Amino acid sequence: MSPVRAILFLSGLLLCAAMASLAVGAVRVPVPVILNTLFDLDGPQQTFIITRSRLPRTWLAVVTGASLGVSGAIIQALLRNPLASPKIIGINSGAALAVLIAVLALPDLPPGWVPLSAVVGGIAAAALLYVLSELRQVSPARLAVIGIAVGFTADAGVDFILVTADSYAVSAPLVWLTGSLWSRGWSHVGTVAPILAPLLLVGLALSYRLDIIRLGSAQATALGMNVRLERLVLLAVAALLASVSVSVVGVLGFVGLMAPHIARMLVGGQHRGLLPVAALVGALLVVTADAAGRAVAPPVEISAGILTALFGAPFFVYLMLTRQIEARS
Amino acid sequence: MRASPARGALIALLTCGVLGGTLLSLATGGRSDVGLLSLFDGDLLTQTVLWDIRAPRTLAAACLGANLGLAGLILQSITRNPLASPAILGINQGAALGLALAFVVPVFGRVGPDAMAVFGAFGAGLLTFAIAGGFRGRMDAMRLILGGVAVGAFSYAMVRFTFTLEDDIARSVVRWTVGDITDIRWVETTQLAFSTLPGLAAALALSQRLNLISLGQDAAQGLGADPRVTLFLGMMLAAVLAGVSVSVAGPIAFTGLVVPHLARFLFGGEHTVLVPAVAALGAGLMLSADGLSKILTAPVEAPIGVVAALIGAPWFLWLAVRTKDLE
Repeated sequence: MSPVRAILFLSGLLLCAAMASLAVGAVRVPVPVILNTLFDLDGPQQTFIITRSRLPRTWLAVVTGASLGVSGAIIQALLRNPLASPKIIGINSGAALAVLIAVLALPDLPPGWVPLSAVVGGIAAAALLYVLSELRQVSPARLAVIGIAVGFTADAGVDFILVTADSYAVSAPLVWLTGSLWSRGWSHVGTVAPILAPLLLVGLALSYRLDIIRLGSAQATALGMNVRLERLVLLAVAALLASVSVSVVGVLGFVGLMAPHIARMLVGGQHRGLLPVAALVGALLVVTADAAGRAVAPPVEISAGILTALFGAPFFVYLMLTRQIEARS
Repeated sequence: MRASPARGALIALLTCGVLGGTLLSLATGGRSDVGLLSLFDGDLLTQTVLWDIRAPRTLAAACLGANLGLAGLILQSITRNPLASPAILGINQGAALGLALAFVVPVFGRVGPDAMAVFGAFGAGLLTFAIAGGFRGRMDAMRLILGGVAVGAFSYAMVRFTFTLEDDIARSVVRWTVGDITDIRWVETTQLAFSTLPGLAAALALSQRLNLISLGQDAAQGLGADPRVTLFLGMMLAAVLAGVSVSVAGPIAFTGLVVPHLARFLFGGEHTVLVPAVAALGAGLMLSADGLSKILTAPVEAPIGVVAALIGAPWFLWLAVRTKDLE
């Protein structure tokens, strides 16, 4: 499939998923009512549910899903590792730990600063990985194990904070940590969208550089590229995308892993086409997971993060078994 | 193998560790006015605190340490992988899933929570081994770890899924999922002790086989011990030990990883020595961790699993970076 057709096709799917996401939940809203509300047409409207609750949450799902998808695609290309993703290499858990520390240590922190603390944690985890992959040439599989270990360490810190804090302070972060879009409003969209949108554009603009990097550092240098610098910039973009997303929706596992692979199956490995498609697939996955979580057993909501993990973990095993990962390289 | 005087000193040290841990765990707790001396001259209330609340908890900590340490040792031996442990291979999470199903689905509830936990642990372990290619005779070290993590992530997501649907138990789940023994009384402790003692005996019986398989699957085959049989028996034993522990205290991570490494460092690689050493060392460490969990964040108690993870996770990171024979 050519990238343009894939993009059109996925945009259509995303539109359908977004409509479904607006329709399902504790109160079902029929499609005509949604259209009336969105475009302010004559007829019955559901202004409160749609514009105050479901619309911001759907937008947030689109933005964070796209960010995670692009982040995963960049990381997989940089590390030349099909198993890599922001979650696997520990960026998500690092960001989660940093946000939790910031929220609990400084209760008066204005919400605008939360993404910043997430960035600090995510960058720290990414920096550790960067050092290991640049300075000591480690194999892709070992890098994945090290990333998992970094994630475990951050998770241990998260658990410690959660169980020792008093109960009220705990309950809010807990919902957030499971990777949920519950009770997210326009203020959350307003906080992260202005950061994520430019980053996404930078990621897309740099996508063709990834094709050169994938050739290997010797060839890329021969083609006149400052490989170290560009790798650093791209890794920073990927880490920022993932950690800012984590700061509002928590750890949505495996989206960053699945989206690039699905995109590659659709349009092949050329990054100029791959990155936008990965962004759309990521958005589609998160919107669908969020909508499905509300549709399964209303009024109970299943966190989107639980659903992405349920599908993502088997996908990871499938990847590991089918792609011959170079454990011994 | 080390010289015997050193061995004697180590055994003395180990005994001191277990005794010291026991005393620490018994002496600490929410009622700070209740100390060890209350054993002899306390009134009825302090006697109750000590015998009905602290003693079962202390014994449970010791049994958990022994169980998880042994499970970790067996797994590390049969997979010949230094990163293996019940939590990394998804076995703890599988047990948790079995337990969650026993609570939520009536059909499974009739089987009993303990049995379901063991089944879950066993199923998850088999799945991880199958992904790593363990039953075709070539276990890929990295695939084992990555497969285990994926199996664990899936089981854990399933656990959270079931608990989201059941509102009344969701509140207590946070503490349980990290491993907590605060509310343990004699009923659970007895149950746990009934798995630890036979488990230790079974592990001792297996120790020759473990010695052989640690030479490599081919060598074990040549010496007349079918590695697949060892793999299966070891897996079963580890699943029972980990499953019962999880059903009593929740999935405590990293104890099973750290303890065998420490024991191997102190006592060498001979499994007839390692098995009792791991049991004692695990008990001693968990007793100390239990004492610490009551002191560290007083008056709030940090669940023992969190204390174990805070120590164990950086250790895992260190191993992941340093271990030579992974590739």
